Amino acid sequence: MNSLEPSLPSETMMPRLLSQRPRSYWDNVLASAVRPWAVKISVAYLVALSLLAVLIPFIANSRPYTVVVSAHNSMQAKRLYPLFRSLTRLDLIVLVWAGVVVWCVLHQWLTRKESDLVRRRQRRWRVMILAAFAAIALTTLIGIFRHNVLDVTNYTRLVAEGKAHGAIFAPIKWGYADMEPLRRDLINKMPMPGHPLGTDGQGRDVLARLLWSARVAMSVGFVSQIIALVIGVFCGAVDGYFSGIVDLLFMRFVEAVEAIPTLILILIFVATFGRNIMAIMVILGVTGWTGYARFVRAEFLRLRSLDYVAAARAAGLPLWRVLFRYMLPNGITPVLVSASFGFAGAVTIESGLSFLGVGVRPPTASWGQMLNEAGNPATVFRWWEAIGPGLAIFLTVMAFNVIGQALRDAIDPHGEAL
Amino acid sequence: MLNYIIRRLLLMIPTLFIMSFMLFAIVRFAPGLAHPGAGGTTGKLNSRQAQKEQELEIKRRLHLVDRFGHPISVPMQYWLWVRDIAEGHFGMSYQYDEPVLTLIAQRLPVTITLNLIATVIIYIIAVPGGMLAAVQRGRWFDRGFGFLTLALYSLPSIWVGSMLLGFLANPQFLDWFPAAGIHTTDTSHMTYFQYLGDYCYHIALPLVCYVYGGFAVLSKQVRAAMLDNMRQDYVRTARAKGVGNWTLTVRHIFRNSLLPLITISAGVLPGLLAGSVIVEQIFSIRGMGALAYKATFGHDLPVLQMVGLVGGIIGLLADLITDLCYAVADPRVSYE
Repeated sequence: MNSLEPSLPSETMMPRLLSQRPRSYWDNVLASAVRPWAVKISVAYLVALSLLAVLIPFIANSRPYTVVVSAHNSMQAKRLYPLFRSLTRLDLIVLVWAGVVVWCVLHQWLTRKESDLVRRRQRRWRVMILAAFAAIALTTLIGIFRHNVLDVTNYTRLVAEGKAHGAIFAPIKWGYADMEPLRRDLINKMPMPGHPLGTDGQGRDVLARLLWSARVAMSVGFVSQIIALVIGVFCGAVDGYFSGIVDLLFMRFVEAVEAIPTLILILIFVATFGRNIMAIMVILGVTGWTGYARFVRAEFLRLRSLDYVAAARAAGLPLWRVLFRYMLPNGITPVLVSASFGFAGAVTIESGLSFLGVGVRPPTASWGQMLNEAGNPATVFRWWEAIGPGLAIFLTVMAFNVIGQALRDAIDPHGEAL
Repeated sequence: MLNYIIRRLLLMIPTLFIMSFMLFAIVRFAPGLAHPGAGGTTGKLNSRQAQKEQELEIKRRLHLVDRFGHPISVPMQYWLWVRDIAEGHFGMSYQYDEPVLTLIAQRLPVTITLNLIATVIIYIIAVPGGMLAAVQRGRWFDRGFGFLTLALYSLPSIWVGSMLLGFLANPQFLDWFPAAGIHTTDTSHMTYFQYLGDYCYHIALPLVCYVYGGFAVLSKQVRAAMLDNMRQDYVRTARAKGVGNWTLTVRHIFRNSLLPLITISAGVLPGLLAGSVIVEQIFSIRGMGALAYKATFGHDLPVLQMVGLVGGIIGLLADLITDLCYAVADPRVSYE
């Protein structure tokens, strides 16, 4: 069905094909994985969710992009930019890194037709290193010079009372923690005009919180899986290459980590190292690497007996270079599958932890926490607050699972397991 | 065969060792070890001398110092900790001021019973489902089934639990099921069968939460195993000699597909144990998961450590039993 091995072209076709960029194994896998419409929808959904996670301060915010405050209390009329002024450090750092990723992807896409492979690869590396340096430098600068501004002015009321005009508000006029303190009648309300998904027990807009939660879910999934990936790939590679007694002991270690029920292991870490979003990311990474290690180990066990590895060793290359520059690119593909399922698992576990009350701290919004706040269901059950986050977790996890399954089918068309 | 069993058992020893050391190390190097509750004394002490005495006593009980107050090396601490566990001293809970062993002995049966019932139900509904999907391969039933299993696999149990509780056990909507616990508060007047009925009534919703995820995983495995066997030569032979469709599916293919099902059973149980933290929290069931949850909030490290250890040992045992079953069930696989 999916022919992954490129068929050998006949002699007459060779010149034309050589002028094209050769399709690598990766290209083939990705091309055949993305073919089904379900995968296309999933990818689109996840891209949209990532964009939402980055741009959310500009979408759901109680402060207007710009507003003219009228003259009062001996003050001049003045044009302010409250939304930009109150962007937090985190917002800016996320924006910087997202910008860097977009830059790298754009660069890849723009140079995709370049025929000189070596030059292309060099340029690609140069761009990526430059981008990483730029991002780190900017992050440091933000960390030093930017201070979070707490702006408690109620601009909606200012505009309503005629003390300000010319305000341009974000599409959703509430942030994740904005309540309506003087309006008791707007607490705990079902969907209505103005609050399309209703309000929660503290008068906060459910839709705004739902959208803000995407940031927590995506960042926890992303960072934790990168940590898990680094640990897992490194351990699996070393283990698979050396095998023997190292392998025997290391696999016992993996078994030991896997034997303890995941959530209980995570709870132990949470109880020990405290609970905040950074700790959750690290903990999910530190407990979730075994799958990667198994996959990479299996690949390396297969690869280590191949001739090109022996040739690389015989040529006197250092071991790390053989492992990570020669063997890893050939053994990394199954890890994509694992990463996809791992991301889904991280989103589930993060929401579970937040649901239990040991995840992100309030008032930061997270889907799990919203489900938790939807009520002690036995007494008050705010279904309007429960349906959205649950659906969001479900769709996100499902999207990752669909992609993971498609990748697995593309890599191994005969395997049928979930 | 005997060799294989012995080797398998020997391999378990280092795993057990590493796991216990990991749990020991996490808690040993955590901040706040010499917690006042650690010694199991609740009385208030006023004089500085008495406080020092108590601290020393706590350290002694945790094997941080020997009885003369000299510090003990970490490997020796670990050894003493293991010896304590072997003797049945699991330490004292900070929160409840009770031995951890008592707490676990109270809670473990609740969780294990629920999980076993869930596992049985999973097998009962997943096996026919997977078989049907395999037989109908490529037709609408199979496609719908594939989508359904993927969707069920992705459904977060926190959502399912909240919605079930919110809509079906809530006076606001449908008050059909009890909202908490595994039996009515007062069961003294009930006959045995009434009690059993009461129990089933209470665990219905939690069971749904346990079952649907495992159903997705297992039925997918059944389908894969069936399809794998359908490609084999012996199926063609059987068909050629005139074996009927039904007999072929049930007697020939299904029997040979049973092996992977044994393997997966090990994966189901630890997964359910981890899931029990959330399900027990939603439905207010006082089991191991709820114990771990409360302990997390109370910084009750000895309890968490032991819950982790017990969970880990159950996981390892499930693994072991699976491997042994596999070895017994499949004479084609040779183990030297």
